[in-house]
Amino acid sequence: MDIDKVIEVLSKCQTPSEYEIKQLCNKAIEILIEEANVLRIVPPVTICGDIHGQFFDLVELFDLGGSPFETNYLFMGDFVDRGYYSLETFLYLLALKVKNPRRISILRGNHECRQITKVYGFYLECVKKYGNGNVWRYCTEVFDHLSLTALIGNSIFSVHGGLSPSIKTINQISLINRKQELPHEGPMSDMLWSDPESIQNWGMSPRGAGFIFGNEVVKNFNRTNGLSLITRAHQLCMDGFQYMFDESLVTVWSAPNYFYRSGNIAAILEIGENLTRQFKTFKAAPKEKRIVKVKMSIPKYFL
Amino acid sequence: MSDQKKDDEIYPIAVLVEELKNEDVQLRLNSLRQISTIAQAVGQERTRSELIPFLNDATDDEDEVLLVLADELGNLVEFVGGGEYAHTILPPLTTLASVEETVVREKTVEAIKKISKEMGEDQIQEFLYPVLKQLATGKWFTSRSSACGLFSICYQNVDEETKTELRQLFSDLCKDPTPMVRRSAAKGLAVLVPYVGRENLRKELIPLFVKLAEDDQDRVRLLAVDNCVALSKILTEDEFITYVIPTLKSCAKDRSWRVRYMVAERFCQLSEPIEPEVTKNDLVEVFIGLLKDNEEEVRTCATLRIAELCGQIRVYQDVIKDAILPVIEELSKDFSDNVKIALAASVTELAPIIGKEMTVEKLVPLYLDLLKEDISDVKLNIISKLDTVTQVITIEVLASTLLPVVVELFEDRQWRVRNAVIEYIPKLAIQLGVQFFDEKLTDLTMSWLKDSVFKIRQTAARNLVKLTKVFGSDWCMEHLLPHIFKLLEEPNYKIKQTGMYSLTVLAPELGNEIVTEKILPKIKNLKSDKVANVKLYLAKTLKSLLPYLEENTIQQEVKPCLNELAKDEDPDVKHFATSALNKIS
Repeated sequence: MDIDKVIEVLSKCQTPSEYEIKQLCNKAIEILIEEANVLRIVPPVTICGDIHGQFFDLVELFDLGGSPFETNYLFMGDFVDRGYYSLETFLYLLALKVKNPRRISILRGNHECRQITKVYGFYLECVKKYGNGNVWRYCTEVFDHLSLTALIGNSIFSVHGGLSPSIKTINQISLINRKQELPHEGPMSDMLWSDPESIQNWGMSPRGAGFIFGNEVVKNFNRTNGLSLITRAHQLCMDGFQYMFDESLVTVWSAPNYFYRSGNIAAILEIGENLTRQFKTFKAAPKEKRIVKVKMSIPKYFL
Repeated sequence: MSDQKKDDEIYPIAVLVEELKNEDVQLRLNSLRQISTIAQAVGQERTRSELIPFLNDATDDEDEVLLVLADELGNLVEFVGGGEYAHTILPPLTTLASVEETVVREKTVEAIKKISKEMGEDQIQEFLYPVLKQLATGKWFTSRSSACGLFSICYQNVDEETKTELRQLFSDLCKDPTPMVRRSAAKGLAVLVPYVGRENLRKELIPLFVKLAEDDQDRVRLLAVDNCVALSKILTEDEFITYVIPTLKSCAKDRSWRVRYMVAERFCQLSEPIEPEVTKNDLVEVFIGLLKDNEEEVRTCATLRIAELCGQIRVYQDVIKDAILPVIEELSKDFSDNVKIALAASVTELAPIIGKEMTVEKLVPLYLDLLKEDISDVKLNIISKLDTVTQVITIEVLASTLLPVVVELFEDRQWRVRNAVIEYIPKLAIQLGVQFFDEKLTDLTMSWLKDSVFKIRQTAARNLVKLTKVFGSDWCMEHLLPHIFKLLEEPNYKIKQTGMYSLTVLAPELGNEIVTEKILPKIKNLKSDKVANVKLYLAKTLKSLLPYLEENTIQQEVKPCLNELAKDEDPDVKHFATSALNKIS
């Protein structure tokens, strides 16, 4: 597999052959399998939230934040479902990960699992584009190997959803066996499904998975683990990002005009060398940029 | 012929028969796509006697399959024995012309037209005309609708008597009770116009055209506009004024916005073939009506065509000044964003048409107003065409009027607007000269290199190259390099990268001496930066600068630096350093 050629194809929002995708996923798994449940990242790094298949808005993100070959990125999951280009988006990030594993880090979101993708669009997209479910299977295999959390410079903790009542210290996260389909309950599920709320402690989540957690929980967790900030995604922010609990937790959302109808702006969080924080916001890519050249492949038949 | 041989020849058809019974649509489609191959295999006679009749019975299938069938049938002329036998393909196509799905019918009509091109006049008279008649008098509206598409190709190739019958059939279709048929007829009319001769045009077709333009279905009425365009190409001036303009005027005031929109859309195509005088006398007022239309879509569409129309009547400057410019001024205060965006796009192109004096007096205040709008597409449209305006009004006038406002846009919130301004700067620089540029614009230009948006920093760096080409490398060394070197000391690693990128793109303009003596020492300092991204970018930069360095400099200064980088623990730093070292050896 020629990784540069695959990246070239994907960067135009086109899909490589089924065989190339299989090879790409295998190569990605080889890299991801070595990564810990808690990625150790040395700052500077640019943190990004949900993308949800909005490929051209991902391109806007790179136009804003810098080329992925020269800039450090951390994506906090939810690459697929809802947008029209889930496959191209996920594979593009995967290819970039294979090409520069040290520059780009990707975490698992609650949408990176078999059950959810069958309902919210990714499976259908794969079948529509390839005529069968093989590509979806290769991708969900990769999902199982994605890391769960990241620790930036020992002081900033990143996860897709939020905290879990079973996890008091970051070391406990290393004990989880993550290489499986996303369970319905337990610490792994909680971290990808939970939401912060203006309460003090824990509560039942309306989502039906994970929990809601409040001010005391966050302050304790940060104190115990020596953290200055928790960054997470998972919830739409009209302004692209939202601080809570005296700026000890922030939600970063990177899908502008979410689901092509929400009218929100998106944000990325740039963490500097010395852990300085700068938010940059961006809007959806204009109409003229959202063009895909569709290639028609008519299967040949021999008499 | 022995039975064995006969079997061999029929065998491909048997395979086809089997396949077309298959449940899977894909397989049926695939086998249909191979019809030409099968026809070639069985030979012309069997194609005519067996393959085509079989296909005639295969017309009960899904629309997707029928679409492919219609398409393939159109390609079979050479396999049935050329134009002489082309008519044998008509039966299955006739059946397909009556199906429910519009897309299939349209493809069928196309296919019939395609094979008719190969048919001689006799065949058309003998075979195509009966098919057309059958379809045109058919029970279902679908066949009558398809018939409308076949008139033009039939008409040209038949005798006088048949022509009269055809015109009668067409007239009936124009008055058909079903709107879909009348629509197809209206479409067919434009195509038929060139062939009927002036007398029939006046006596028969034009009354039909007028009647269709008064149809109670707006989808039929809007096709009248296309017919106007077709007629404008054929009729004389007087005929056009008498027969077409009244209809056009009523379309422009139609109660349905779609019809009015069509008039705006096709306006310049309409006015192009006719004399400017006629346009001035009769059409300008129609156009102005569209610019003032209630419906935003219509106003937007018309606004986009202002410059083109004024170009057509440019001899009548006073008409432009007295009639059109006042309306334009009103449009700049329109409440709709889309109208203002369209206005911004077309009003810059008006400048060369009305000349310097008028532009300064009437258009420049308009540009100023539009540039102050909060809509980024409006500002973008003005700035990207500002060059056209500058050529008309001269730089002194630009400097005193528009420049201050443009300068404000340097810091616009929308990055695409800033990008457009950056692209415009070098053109300004050429005209303004060094003196003016230094005083007002250098600082702002340099601040773009620290812009928060990556794309802007890249464009700004490339902009420096264009400026250096205008003002020379000495100017660059004196005014730009000190600022760029400061970028290398910024805390943010991305700005350091921008600094290095600027130096890379400027290197060809500055020459080996400056690169060796000024640039190289500065960037080498970055080799001990704590951030890996800076180091990997340094390795890339050193590789790009190699062509501008002397051999001994490379060996003594660059190579040791790269060797150090090649030992870095970050794999990307190692990779780029090694790649640079490989280029040296």
